[in-house]
Amino acid sequence: MADLWRRSWCLATGLIVPALAMGSPRWLQLDAVAPAWSVLWLLPWALVDGPISGALVGAGLGLLLDGLHPGPVSQLPALALLGWWWGRLGRRDVVLERSASLALLSLTGCLVLGGSLLLQMLVAGTWPASAFQTLWAQTLITALLAPPVCSLWLLLWRQQLPGVR
Amino acid sequence: MQAGRGARFPSLRLLLTGWPWLVLALLLVAIRLSKGAGFSDLYALVTRPFWPGSAQSEWLRSAQRLDQQTRLGQLEADNQRLRRLLALQQQPGAARSAPVIARPAQGWWQQLMLGQGAWQGLQVGDAVVAPGGLVGRIAATTPTTATAQLLTDPGSRVGVWVARTGEHGLLVGLGTPRPVLRFLDRDARVRPGDLVTTSPASTLLPPNLTVGVIQHLDASVIPAPEAVVQLSAPLAAIDWVQVLPIQGRSDG
Repeated sequence: MADLWRRSWCLATGLIVPALAMGSPRWLQLDAVAPAWSVLWLLPWALVDGPISGALVGAGLGLLLDGLHPGPVSQLPALALLGWWWGRLGRRDVVLERSASLALLSLTGCLVLGGSLLLQMLVAGTWPASAFQTLWAQTLITALLAPPVCSLWLLLWRQQLPGVR
Repeated sequence: MQAGRGARFPSLRLLLTGWPWLVLALLLVAIRLSKGAGFSDLYALVTRPFWPGSAQSEWLRSAQRLDQQTRLGQLEADNQRLRRLLALQQQPGAARSAPVIARPAQGWWQQLMLGQGAWQGLQVGDAVVAPGGLVGRIAATTPTTATAQLLTDPGSRVGVWVARTGEHGLLVGLGTPRPVLRFLDRDARVRPGDLVTTSPASTLLPPNLTVGVIQHLDASVIPAPEAVVQLSAPLAAIDWVQVLPIQGRSDG
């Protein structure tokens, strides 16, 4: 685990996620569906700070976001899992800064997040009629935004931790 | 000779001096024969600035509104009295206006965040009404904010009825702009265009709130028909809502 989580202002940037989730700009929506801002913030964090920090921060982010929505459906398990997985990928000797890599990772993460929500909705008996439209729209817009957004976050985090690759 | 000459000159002089009168006479005759053509048109042209304009029509509309408001007030008073006699739920207490401070994009949840919360008296279950009718219910509150679950949310279930036929049903959100009305009766006699409201005997929601209009009926669904409902309130354009307290709590 790197030291990113020790810097409180770095953690505080996570508050951008619920703010954007509640007031996502219309020009950043696809078919009236906003991107998964949690994925766009968590991916670079976990890549830099490792699996444990990724999982814990993902869980914290999930708790925060679950508090904003009614109903029993939770984003926590998927975000914690994604944080752990991306943290492990960041520890390997694979270059993940390329735009295509970031887009593919965020695409997969968005599918996992949306899939976990749909699974819970299926169990709860509240399967939405627009399930696949929402899933695909959110996945596509998240993957499109991932290269610029995640690159900027990665740059910022690596400037804070010069020793980290 | 002189007398004859004198008799000719005055008639010519009369003609030369009196020609305007002759023209006027001819004009009057023309007006008479044409039933006022020209004259009426000229009158209309001259008096056009003084015609009854928007001010008069606005006065009439204002008077009409006042008349309708008075009649509505009387009908509501009558309604309250009759509901009291029948021991049905009373109309809700004072409504609280609340601004919409966040409108998350259409996605997994369909909700509004309101700028009033528990400190202002809002509670879970309160009805949220916008211009046009019911839009949802309060699903969660914080001290200064509240989250309203819209009728279009996949988890929304609200009991409604069709006033024309008196049939009850469950309005179920699907995550799309139009919720579905699942009827309890197998032989629903509703048709597109029927008005959907909250039930007059409802205990969870204020009675007789407009919800929407039936747009399409699918009678082939088993075990009971389903209808697609177009909500009457424009969800995308709501900036302020009114929150009506639930039954037994009118602390306004």
